[in-house]
Amino acid sequence: MTPTLASQTLARTILEGLPFLEGVPGWILYPTLLTVGCVLAVAILSVFVLFAVWLERKVSAHMQCRLGPMEAGGFHGWLQTVTDGVKLLAKEDLVPKHADRFPFLIAPIIAFTGVFLAFVVLPFGRNVIVADLNIGIFYVAAVSSIEVFGVLMAGYASNNKWSLFGAMRAAAQMVVYEIPLGIAILAVAVAAGTLGMQGIIDAQSGWFWNWFVFRNPFLLLTFVIFFLASMCECKRAPFDLPEAESELVSGFHTEYSGMRFAMFLFAEYGALFVASAVAAVAFFGGWRTGIPVLDEIPGVAGVAIGMTTMLVKATVFVFIQMWARWTLPRVRLDHMFTLCLKYLLPFSLVGLVGVCLWQLALPSHTLWFFVR
Amino acid sequence: MTYFRNIYTVSKSILTGMGLTLRYFLNPATTTTIQYPHEKEVLPERHRGIHYLETEKCIMCFKCSNACPVDCIAIEGTRDGRIEGAYVGKKCEISKFTIDYTKCIFCNLCCEPCPELCIHMGPDYDFSGYTREEMVKNLLTGDYYNASDRSFVRWARGEIERLAEEKKRRKAEEAAKKKAEAAAAAKGAPKPEAKDAPKPAPKPTAEPKAKEEPEAGEKGGEA
Repeated sequence: MTPTLASQTLARTILEGLPFLEGVPGWILYPTLLTVGCVLAVAILSVFVLFAVWLERKVSAHMQCRLGPMEAGGFHGWLQTVTDGVKLLAKEDLVPKHADRFPFLIAPIIAFTGVFLAFVVLPFGRNVIVADLNIGIFYVAAVSSIEVFGVLMAGYASNNKWSLFGAMRAAAQMVVYEIPLGIAILAVAVAAGTLGMQGIIDAQSGWFWNWFVFRNPFLLLTFVIFFLASMCECKRAPFDLPEAESELVSGFHTEYSGMRFAMFLFAEYGALFVASAVAAVAFFGGWRTGIPVLDEIPGVAGVAIGMTTMLVKATVFVFIQMWARWTLPRVRLDHMFTLCLKYLLPFSLVGLVGVCLWQLALPSHTLWFFVR
Repeated sequence: MTYFRNIYTVSKSILTGMGLTLRYFLNPATTTTIQYPHEKEVLPERHRGIHYLETEKCIMCFKCSNACPVDCIAIEGTRDGRIEGAYVGKKCEISKFTIDYTKCIFCNLCCEPCPELCIHMGPDYDFSGYTREEMVKNLLTGDYYNASDRSFVRWARGEIERLAEEKKRRKAEEAAKKKAEAAAAAKGAPKPEAKDAPKPAPKPTAEPKAKEEPEAGEKGGEA
């Protein structure tokens, strides 16, 4: 398979599984496989969002001495989000009379697209990645910032002061969290020697103490900074200033209803998943289990193990973000700026320099000085 | 220095808080929710809920409906004889015993005067309906006072009237017979009426639901 298209990797996996496709001309095969990859990504995203909303409700409920949804679907209300989705589908698609119609209508689509694009480079196994771009993690940072454009358009077009405030906050927030986030990603790139997602994961192969969190104290610090900054990026409590329901009604999506509101919800939970998955890839070995024997298993079983590992790791980080959300109150806007600019930014620089020096001095040692 | 102390205090307080929420999350004993329709709270013994009636003990004395401050209890029936399909109390046939829960104030005043202790405040509190008619409960069936109950009661009113009439007639015949006997004896027995008077005594206050059946409970039972 000559790399005529960036969608190489998943395409190769599929071709290995279905060798009779070899004869199909490339100009038909690759677009088809790309479409298949995209559909798969959308399916994973949708299912994950449904699961995450349910999980969020259960987690919050149990932390508050409640039970959460218990009826729909039987076991602990697992169908609740599906029924809610059907309800949202059936609702009227309202546009306020004085709203700027066109931006108002496309804002949720842009927000959703930004999140969805990041799925292109998320690896779910050795060859299970839609496109292993050589700038993978940078690409994630770039496209997940597109969501903010959607938020900004929504707030600006809604002709509602709450929405506008929410959008302005989202923009202001983005300016501050992107810097430590970018520097943390840079530190990972320094440690891995590449920006490609599979390259970063390969740099963490072997036993789990090769994972970047355990590699050296500076990367551990970088992980904490990355995680806090990605919580800001997901616009979730304690950093949910753009929605801030107690101050801004519901922030930038105050005027949205029905499926367009659901798309903002999709974007939010999709961003949650992307942030968690990137944290898993950059610091916790991605789809690698941390046990070399399991990672070497070929074929479908290996793919299944890789996907499961990746999803479990991502879900753990999603859970931690929910846990923080239901524990901590919302921070004030200036407190958030203080956190990002006065605390996270200097420490991320310290981390970056530390990682560089560590790479020069002890390139083959983990935190506990095991030889790699 | 405050810079690093801030980091320390913030980290410590966040971790403390998150430890607390995790303990609540993991410990199912902290859940206070009661899954209402499936499981119900244990109520105090003397909880005043929806009434229930021990029909076979009821003597249809109307004390409960008289005691009721909001007039929500309606009772119809007879002591004069058998009505097909009516509920059998103690020496009486009850065709209607309803409580209108749009009026009831759950004051327990109906249960207190009951001489047979047959009406009680029950443990149920979830009685609801889509219409006002559905809020009237038929204590004889335990269901709400529905159309078939209504038609039965309408039919029973005629029966009650007929039985009362029949009894009056019989009594009149008896009285006439007695009078004739007395006349035949032509001597003692000066007061045949006085003999009858003590008999209706058990039910002098019987004022039913005002509308009909004035005779239903008025004249006393068969001795």
